[in-house]
Amino acid sequence: MTNLRRGRSFRLLAGGLGAALTLSACMGGTTDSGKDAAAGYDPKAAVTITWWTGQPEEQEKVAEQLAADYHTAHPNVTIKVSPGAPTTDDLLTKLSAGFTSDSYPDVSYAFGNWAGDLGASGKTQDLTSYVNDAAFDWNDFPAAAREVATADGKVIGIPALVDNLALIYNKKLFDAAGVAYPTDQWSWDDFRAAAKKLTNKATNTYGTAYSVSGSEDTTWHLWPLLWQHGGKILDGTKPAFNSDAGVAALETFRQMAVDDKSMYLDQTDEKYAPLFNSGHVAMMLSGPWSLLEIKEAKLAYGVVDLPGYNGDHQTVSGPDLWVLFDHGDVNRAGATRDFTKWLTSKEIDPKWNLAVGNLPLRTSEKDSPEFAAYVKEYPGGQKFFDNLANAKQARPTAPGYEVLSRNVGDAIAKVMQGQGQPKEALDEAAKKSADALVN
Amino acid sequence: MALTFAATPRTHTPPPAQRGPRGRALRRNLTGWAFAGPATAIVIGLSIFPAVWAFFISRAKWNGIAPATQVGWRNYQLLLQDPDMIAATKHTLLLTALFVPGSIVLGIVIAIALNQKIRLIGFYRTCIFVPYVASAAATGILAGFVFNPQFGVANDVLRHLGLPQQQFLENQHQAIYIICLIALWGEVGFTTVIYLAALQDIPKDLIEAARMDGASKWRVFRHVTLPELRPVTVFAAIWQTITAMQLFDLIYTTTRGGPLNSTQTIVYYIYELAFQTQRLGYGAAAAYLLFIVTLLLSLLVIWYSRRRGSEVF
Repeated sequence: MTNLRRGRSFRLLAGGLGAALTLSACMGGTTDSGKDAAAGYDPKAAVTITWWTGQPEEQEKVAEQLAADYHTAHPNVTIKVSPGAPTTDDLLTKLSAGFTSDSYPDVSYAFGNWAGDLGASGKTQDLTSYVNDAAFDWNDFPAAAREVATADGKVIGIPALVDNLALIYNKKLFDAAGVAYPTDQWSWDDFRAAAKKLTNKATNTYGTAYSVSGSEDTTWHLWPLLWQHGGKILDGTKPAFNSDAGVAALETFRQMAVDDKSMYLDQTDEKYAPLFNSGHVAMMLSGPWSLLEIKEAKLAYGVVDLPGYNGDHQTVSGPDLWVLFDHGDVNRAGATRDFTKWLTSKEIDPKWNLAVGNLPLRTSEKDSPEFAAYVKEYPGGQKFFDNLANAKQARPTAPGYEVLSRNVGDAIAKVMQGQGQPKEALDEAAKKSADALVN
Repeated sequence: MALTFAATPRTHTPPPAQRGPRGRALRRNLTGWAFAGPATAIVIGLSIFPAVWAFFISRAKWNGIAPATQVGWRNYQLLLQDPDMIAATKHTLLLTALFVPGSIVLGIVIAIALNQKIRLIGFYRTCIFVPYVASAAATGILAGFVFNPQFGVANDVLRHLGLPQQQFLENQHQAIYIICLIALWGEVGFTTVIYLAALQDIPKDLIEAARMDGASKWRVFRHVTLPELRPVTVFAAIWQTITAMQLFDLIYTTTRGGPLNSTQTIVYYIYELAFQTQRLGYGAAAAYLLFIVTLLLSLLVIWYSRRRGSEVF
């Protein structure tokens, strides 16, 4: 009896181990065959492709309409449209589950900072030669967006959304404090002086605001200053943001937050925009996505370039992507390419991005009637569009950026709340990030 | 990773019948498995199997997308020197050290109060238990309103009392205590109910006998009631320790580990590693460390209580 039991539990254990080993094989990815995913594609073949939009309800409706339009024009291509996940954030988890169970889509929305990880999955299409075809007009997309779509030297997707940071200000608060409006030529010293004058303890008004939640929202607001000072985020695969440039950049914000107390420090990412809209924050460094709510709050506002250092006003862009996946079927791959090309073309994109309140993807859309209507509805829209030219550098697409971002965010939060000095905090963040970036 | 206290069946199988022992045994076996099969499949498929797989993940560097690299025990070695992990451990220990005795003492006090024969006792008992029934997520969102530094009720009360305004959840030195307070509010109903049951289980003649011998109320409580409650206390201590160590939803809905990571507990750190920064291997290793520590702690308490002669498990 005892022997029998031992044998049984041994078999159970062995079975469990075997199954787990099989599973751990699922942790692997596919290696690139080096062959073009759509070589010999037949545009007439009947195919069904899956499109994960990552969009909330209203935008999703627009997407479904576009897919239906495409099907009418190309009856042999059926597009299965769905948001893919409850929120855009969840798409990455859904994609990684999809890779394991082999049920990933043909094209999916993706945040720009996922590009490195997705590129390393080995399931993406290599679009490098496709987009470099003259008919595609790849250079019509902003440079920063093109850079984000390129992971490890390969183009893995087409930009889906472009944006950037600029300085949005509340005119009424400037008038009340008797301070001159910001200009495109402002330096960070001008910004600091104005913020100090606009801060009023009695009315709970702050000159400006900064998120100290330690998320990417905390981190990416620092990058434009770093770049303006001539610094870099990475040097190869080594963190380089703790250079003198990085320290000077963070010191600018530290002085405002700690010495002047002219910055509202938001612990959540979510409070500073509503406070701006309700007239408690005079200036905010934000992007075009803020315009809709500002408009709803009926605020008199203006938009100018980010303040600069030594006349350099470059900003940061956070482009998102349509990432195209390979299923080993040339017709599906080819049809997916053609569909995405159509979606991001200068004829169709106004019906998508401009219709849902985003900036146009392609520079050539600036003459379209949809763009004229957009600028009329959102007066700051033109500035944000022009500001795309100031987005000269992109955030790294290397795997491990997420970890780096978290560490830098923590460092910034610490310094802004008076719990550390820029140099030490950034050095510590660099030390902690080094391991995640290098295997 | 919940601990399951499964009872081992100790019944002996009856001696096989004379006729057709093989066929019958087979049928009996099959019938048994038909009953036990579905549940076994669920437990193996949804608990044991992922747990085993997580162990394999914990020995790799993997983000869920790109191919994994086997790194042996490196994740565990890194964890032991990770300053964030050490900070998270300190926060978890602080939370546990406040929460477990707090909920036990409060539970006993409230249970004694609710054990009196007064009017509307059923209503009072319900009131105490309701927060436990509410989900921790709802509790957290509610508490976020109450402790909001600008518009919350808590600061209003302080203002009326003429006390200085506080930052509560937005202050790195206060946040963890406020979280503990909210957790106590939500969980004290549970300890109250089990102590209430235990109090009513104490034989009346024991207390009466003590009274007859002239013991004061306090001495009856100290020398009769408390010793009688010991098995329940051991159970409550283990249970509440596990609850405190796995506290996640409350932190997620109130501070998300902030400000300045001052409320980042081990479980929240695991979540952040695995699902925010996609370091699945490192996160799985942290989860395994937590599992081992919880297991050892539970075994220690059980061993100690068995030595003291009060067997609860």
